[in-house]
Amino acid sequence: MDKALPELDPVIHAQARLRVVAALNVLGEGDEMAFNSLKDLLGMTAGNLSVHLTKLEEAGYVAINKTHRGRTPVTFVALTRRGRLAFEDYTRAIRTLLDNAGGV
Amino acid sequence: MDDERAPSPEETLRVIEEQSAATTRWLYGDPLLLYVPWGVAWVLGFTALFLHYGLDGRSYAPISQMQAVGVLMAAQLLAGGIAALGFVRLNKVLRGDSNARGTMFGYAWFAGFALMTVLCNRITPHLPPQESGLLWAGSSLMLVAALQMAGGAVFLNWPMFFFGAYVGAVNALGVLLGAGWHALLTAVLLGGGFIAVGVVLRRCS
Repeated sequence: MDKALPELDPVIHAQARLRVVAALNVLGEGDEMAFNSLKDLLGMTAGNLSVHLTKLEEAGYVAINKTHRGRTPVTFVALTRRGRLAFEDYTRAIRTLLDNAGGV
Repeated sequence: MDDERAPSPEETLRVIEEQSAATTRWLYGDPLLLYVPWGVAWVLGFTALFLHYGLDGRSYAPISQMQAVGVLMAAQLLAGGIAALGFVRLNKVLRGDSNARGTMFGYAWFAGFALMTVLCNRITPHLPPQESGLLWAGSSLMLVAALQMAGGAVFLNWPMFFFGAYVGAVNALGVLLGAGWHALLTAVLLGGGFIAVGVVLRRCS
């Protein structure tokens, strides 16, 4: 079934990025998740996750902070306020679409 | 690439819900591991204390007070160790405000129990054995109740808040009824309660 969804945010709509944003949205505001942990949680390769995070960062939806724990470099990822609002709008749009279609 | 295709609205909503639930489980661990070890520790420890005290002042089994306390302490140490492993893991995965809140909350538990130990140690020599046992058990459960309620408030977790209130109510009733009843009520209602909460939260998640 191919439904036209012109009003949905194309940055979030790709399934891999949708999963990234849905996972980061679970964190409280002011919290960041380690890149490697996010990679393990989503079952993605580092390269694949990096590509999607770059797209999300370019849209201003995620913030990426590179730092060190002791001498080990660690990258942390968080949803920005703009990203959180975009995800809320996206989820609302999906529910409206389903309601209008008489779906679940 | 498969993950660039446009999913249907139904599929999209399912992906959002499944990913959110999976992330919560992955971050905060299995509720069974958080609640059930404490439940089992209290069932074992307070049942041993109940068998020692009895309800009419006569022991139901040849268990000394120190043996019963030993069972309780050993089981609680094991439960605490399992909970600590979860916090250490979370600290590696996340950084930010939640970690700061969790660390301060952890110190509050440590400080509360340290202060309670000082207080109870000071008063214990002046009380008969049953009353001193009730002092230790009652004050430690009071601390658990207050900190669970405070934790519920800090983390906006209503089940945690209400369970803290429940612990406080059962504890107060037990203290009023005496050492034997306190041990029995704690074993059944709180030990059993923690096990039930773990199972229910697991099913809900």
